[in-house]
Amino acid sequence: MKSKQKDKVDAVLNEQENYLKKELYDLIKKDSWLFDFLQEASLDGLWFWDLDAPENEWMNSKFWTTLGYDPDQMPHTSSSWQDIIFPEDLKDVYANFAKHSKDPSYPYDQVVRYRHKLGHTVWIRCRGIILRDEHGKPRKMLGAHTDITDIKKKEEELRLNSAFFEQVIDGTDMGTWQWNVKTGEAIFNERWAEIIGYTLEELEPISIDTWMKHAEPKDLERSNKLLQDHFAGKTPVYECEARMFHKNGSHVWVLDKGKVVSWDEEGNPEWVVGSHQEITEQKKSYERNRLFIQQAPTAIAMFDEKMKYLAASQEWFNVFDLKNEEIIGRTHYDVLPKIAKKWKKSHQQCLKGNVVKNSEERIEKTNGSIQWLSWEFRPWLTDDNRVGGIIIHASDITKIKREEELKSLLAVAEDQNKRLRNFAHIVSHNLKSHSGNFEMLLDLWIQENPEIENDEIIQLFKTASENLAETIVHLNEVVLINTSVNENLVGLNLNEAMSKAIESVSAIAIESEVVIYNLIQPDVYVLGVSAYLDSILLNLITNGIKYSDKQRNSYISLSTQIEEDFVILEVTDNGLGIDLKKHRSKLFGMYKTFHHNKDARGIGLFITKNQVEAIGGQIEVESEVNQGTTFKIYLQHEKN
Amino acid sequence: MKKIDIACVIDDDPIFVFGIKKIMELIDFCKNLMVFSDGEEALNNLKAIISANEKLPDVILLDLNMPILDGWQFLEEFVKIPCKKKIIIYIVSSSVDPQDVLRAKSFELVSDYIVKPVTVEKLKEVLRDLGKVA
Repeated sequence: MKSKQKDKVDAVLNEQENYLKKELYDLIKKDSWLFDFLQEASLDGLWFWDLDAPENEWMNSKFWTTLGYDPDQMPHTSSSWQDIIFPEDLKDVYANFAKHSKDPSYPYDQVVRYRHKLGHTVWIRCRGIILRDEHGKPRKMLGAHTDITDIKKKEEELRLNSAFFEQVIDGTDMGTWQWNVKTGEAIFNERWAEIIGYTLEELEPISIDTWMKHAEPKDLERSNKLLQDHFAGKTPVYECEARMFHKNGSHVWVLDKGKVVSWDEEGNPEWVVGSHQEITEQKKSYERNRLFIQQAPTAIAMFDEKMKYLAASQEWFNVFDLKNEEIIGRTHYDVLPKIAKKWKKSHQQCLKGNVVKNSEERIEKTNGSIQWLSWEFRPWLTDDNRVGGIIIHASDITKIKREEELKSLLAVAEDQNKRLRNFAHIVSHNLKSHSGNFEMLLDLWIQENPEIENDEIIQLFKTASENLAETIVHLNEVVLINTSVNENLVGLNLNEAMSKAIESVSAIAIESEVVIYNLIQPDVYVLGVSAYLDSILLNLITNGIKYSDKQRNSYISLSTQIEEDFVILEVTDNGLGIDLKKHRSKLFGMYKTFHHNKDARGIGLFITKNQVEAIGGQIEVESEVNQGTTFKIYLQHEKN
Repeated sequence: MKKIDIACVIDDDPIFVFGIKKIMELIDFCKNLMVFSDGEEALNNLKAIISANEKLPDVILLDLNMPILDGWQFLEEFVKIPCKKKIIIYIVSSSVDPQDVLRAKSFELVSDYIVKPVTVEKLKEVLRDLGKVA
């Protein structure tokens, strides 16, 4: 038995071998303790089996201690180990034994499991060799055990780990990638390709170019920038949202994440591993929200917890005078420094989960104008019920504020109007009665003393008294013109009204040698108030007479034409005319109001214009100095 | 032209009253003149005359703006008094407010509206109109 082995060992020794090896082999032959040491130190079990009497098998003590048994208790029989080996592994043992005994070149080498005395599994690599006689018949068998439990455990752990990760990755539908930055080599998983509608096979040959080719160039640019930041150590992980082109032509959004896992000797990144997560749906719903906010008819903006803009409505831009600048991603404090600073405390309040409101706040804008805002800050919550940021809702209530101011102004105006009416009343009843008394007394004085009628002072007294009376009448008329007579308008025959007016001025017309042509159609009716219409016509004719040119054959011509809803009354004279360049703006104004009677033009036209407007009409004038004047009066046509 | 028996002036303005008296004398307007300085005084006295069955004025010249009872209030009260005699009333006021003129016309008793100042000519006209009525 031993000699056989010796032959074999000797066969491998030859003259060229190291002398120490030779010495060791010699020593092993001589001293069995060295052999003992070897088998104890380097092996976890040694056995020697008698194939002629298969029940006899010698096992060294290490054989048993490895399996947790006391070697002294264990008999040297083959059944002793066959009882604790896993039955299914025993089958392999037999099968391998059969093959090896038949064919010596077939190695007897397998991993088998034993049940440790304490119950756990011991993994054993079992190798053996059959010793045959000169006829090649198997006689004995030598075997060695190596305990590989630890390795097996590690292997199992590793297998579990990778199964776990695979499961996790599968479960999250994550595409994975590995990229060698230096060579451009890339490895993707099937899901990576599936996200963009392909199989890995379709994408071959795969390299980092595959990614470059399928990513949106704009996003790729951003991705590269973020990668460089990560390579430079500015970010612990690389993270970028990017669009990729799907096989069907659409865009898909992926969240691309990665991390450098190995570096070369110079400290350059070598392998980067990462993942692709499809976020198209989230992006779409985010886009929808963003669009919803953008299109909102009020000023709304959404911020993250760092007060960075996530979205803002168009109205937000209007209210805060923002040009069409890019504000998404920038902070509120950066975009609107003044106002945001003012609101900072409220922002913080809101980020703590509180709703903060202000129904009116006065804001002084950079251009100095005043803006009134009503606003509300509301926190928005993320899926895990955390405050994700705030939503600001603001409305510009400047207009409403102005209206309020206007209303109070209107009240003041109404109040003043009332006082003006009171004033008119005072003028009518008090001033006028005093001036009337003056006139009356002066009249009586002259009646009683006819000799003083031609006295100059008395004459001047009379003129002054008359002028005072006239002024008061004018003043009264001005105040009494009621601009809200519109609903009390009645149909009036224009020709009749004009004839009446002409009749009342016939005396002075003859005196001034002015001919009046009434060419107004007899059946034209206008809407008006009788007193106003009479006053308007009288004023216009009197004016024409007053300012006639003494050098010419003066005339005043009156005609009408109908234009849509209006009757246009034209009053044309060939009188002195008015220099409109100089006087147009003052023509209908209340200037020179209480001038000497003969030339008192201002008040008459002022009253006329107001009366025309009070009955819903308009007045226009054309004039040439020394040629004449035409007044065009638009009056509402009464069509019956 | 028949001369008026009794004329009545209701006005709080002593200057006006002085003036109208003078004019009336000048044109020999009436035989007798009653003067009251406000609506209330006039109403009380006229009521007394009616109940005593004494002679009532033929014509009243009534001012509008007066203390205590103004011209309108006087008119409103006066129309309620049953009276056989037809009294002609003229409103004599300095107001040119068209609303006043319109309102005056709404009273049947009021025959015309005279805007102050009253002149000899105007009063002569009144006298002529009264003659026509008579």
